[in-house]
Amino acid sequence: MKKKWRMLTALTGALALMVTACSSPSDESGGDQVIRIGAAVSSPAEKKILETQVKEFESKNPGVKVKIEPITDDYLKEIQTMIGARKEPDVFYLDSMPAPDLIRLGALEPLDEYVQKNNVNLSDFEDSLVKAFQADGKTYGIPKDYNTLALFYNKKMFQEAGIEAPKTWAELKEAAQKLTKGDRKGLVLNPELARYQPFLYQNGGKVLDDQGKPSLNLPENADALQFFSDLFVKDKVADVPRNMGFDWSGDAFAEQKAAMVVEGGWLIPFLKEKAPDIEYGIVELPVKEAGKPNSNLAFTVAYVMSKNSKNKDAAFKLIEYLTSEEGQAYVVDSGLALPSRKAMGQKFVEKYPEREAFVKGAAYAQPFQYGEYGPKLTDAANKAVESLVLKQESSAKAALDKAQQQAEKK
Amino acid sequence: MNLRRSLTGDPLAGLLFILPAFVALTVFLVGPILYAFWLSFHEFTFINPDLSKFVGIDNYVRMFQDERFQKALLNTSIYSLGVVPTQVCIALLLALIVDGKVRGRTFFRVSYFLPTVTSTVAVSVMFLNLFKKDGVVNQFLGLFGIEGRSWLLDVDFALPSIMLMAVWTTVGQFMVIYLAGLQDIPQELYEAAEVDGAGPFRRFWHITLPLLKPTTFFIVIMSIIGTFQVFDQMYVISKGEGGPLDATLTVVLYLYNAAFKEFEMGYASAMAFFLFFVILILTLVQRKFFGEETRM
Repeated sequence: MKKKWRMLTALTGALALMVTACSSPSDESGGDQVIRIGAAVSSPAEKKILETQVKEFESKNPGVKVKIEPITDDYLKEIQTMIGARKEPDVFYLDSMPAPDLIRLGALEPLDEYVQKNNVNLSDFEDSLVKAFQADGKTYGIPKDYNTLALFYNKKMFQEAGIEAPKTWAELKEAAQKLTKGDRKGLVLNPELARYQPFLYQNGGKVLDDQGKPSLNLPENADALQFFSDLFVKDKVADVPRNMGFDWSGDAFAEQKAAMVVEGGWLIPFLKEKAPDIEYGIVELPVKEAGKPNSNLAFTVAYVMSKNSKNKDAAFKLIEYLTSEEGQAYVVDSGLALPSRKAMGQKFVEKYPEREAFVKGAAYAQPFQYGEYGPKLTDAANKAVESLVLKQESSAKAALDKAQQQAEKK
Repeated sequence: MNLRRSLTGDPLAGLLFILPAFVALTVFLVGPILYAFWLSFHEFTFINPDLSKFVGIDNYVRMFQDERFQKALLNTSIYSLGVVPTQVCIALLLALIVDGKVRGRTFFRVSYFLPTVTSTVAVSVMFLNLFKKDGVVNQFLGLFGIEGRSWLLDVDFALPSIMLMAVWTTVGQFMVIYLAGLQDIPQELYEAAEVDGAGPFRRFWHITLPLLKPTTFFIVIMSIIGTFQVFDQMYVISKGEGGPLDATLTVVLYLYNAAFKEFEMGYASAMAFFLFFVILILTLVQRKFFGEETRM
């Protein structure tokens, strides 16, 4: 019954917000322009970085006050109701996945005019990241930072087995076989598109075709997914973290129940805290065969501007500062995510040479986004691999055919 | 008498008294419900309300072509069909036990009621741990040589596991209601029956059960409403996805995802109203079934 209330509030709370929005005056504080920035803050460390950046910005721009509005709840839900009530922050974080929807629905301000006026050079940023926030030749967001995937491996286990970090699919499988022992698995992976997509592209497959329509059931995709799911089902050298009683593969790796995991840079601070003694290496994802092209995913977040912002010039100044070399220096120092500026990437590698694999991966990464098909396609593709791993389906081809059908429905 | 005088004597005062509640209910309950009903006939998103478009009953038609919605409806029905009868029977049984002269019955009453006052999210997390591969459930089964599995990741067992949890968490609440019902039954009836030579079973069958009918009606209705609106448990256990493979996808979870992940507020509202009509019809059927005297 409590649920009923929750749903009613959820579906209709926005109305209540609208009602109040009509009557409440906008923030004014002594003539200063107030810019509100909405941020999905995942950790105290991240919040502190933003606070420091904002303080720097304020001291450089007298007359502009920045108010940070951290959103810890379901981010998209919050932003959506705020936009509905026209109470959204002037500047906010936006993930690449929902970006096409928000752009299509006209919630965001195109930034091109401001980019030109302020001489911001978009080619200073990693191309794949900028592209994730562009549509119809317009740019709607400036990437704040990003993460890519890499293969983490436990050095001690590899030494014991007398093997090197795998560079190809065959080596990956072989290493996983050698390292699976008792309740320890060679490879621990989530059965989801965000992990198997690189395999598809490494095999010459594609998730979206040239027209931007789903193309999940290409034969190249089926072969790659078969290899991926066989690691779980046939070879039994990989497992799902939750199946082993872990929340995510990071836990399995920290507790030494996984010799290899595929994760992003977020695993590093986690391991530092949870398992500081583990010696591990980070390498690029293995390719199909030596010499074949590699692939990766870029998980990126941009700063975007609300269409309804009343101080657009000041809002852009804030975006510009946060994504400037100076602003990004904080990102580099923290090591939490990779800076989105190409030049900063180099600095990042200098500071953290062991993390080079992530920066290298960015060069050939696809943004984690599928146009307007986003949530449906991801869901369908996740189910395809899930049904294989759960042995509800034995052929990757059949699973992907079904997923394709679901994804096409839009 | 007093009541009548105050109504005719000073209607203004009365109206003023109900005004706050009236305004609050209109603004926060009736208004939003009507608004949601209006939304259900539109293609609508809060991201850009200007793009809203009247689509007639399209959203409702779409539901019946949407396989995932049907799966969600099926799951919800199975869940309800499993949970409601089990819950009602166990609640009655527990109420009978703690109503009797058992030693330490206060202790039992408290312990049966405790899960009800615990947050469903906390309970879900606890069950996640109980039912995981190396969890307590499997360790216990291991004692009998039965090999366990990851219950909540199993297509066939995820939903039943959550059903078990639902019964456990809500049974205490209904037990308390039954307990109140039991204590309302006049002792004389039992005494008279005993004099007539009726044994415990006949006393239960011919006195307790018929006199508890209004209580049972109330409990069944509340239980059906609760089960059809199940959301939290699935949201926590499947991390909002309804997995594995939609095995725990419920109507409310699906409509939540439609509204907040795919920005389809109109379609979500239509599903919410469909659910409302299902529950309404079930309630009316129940009422017929339990007879007219069980007006609430």
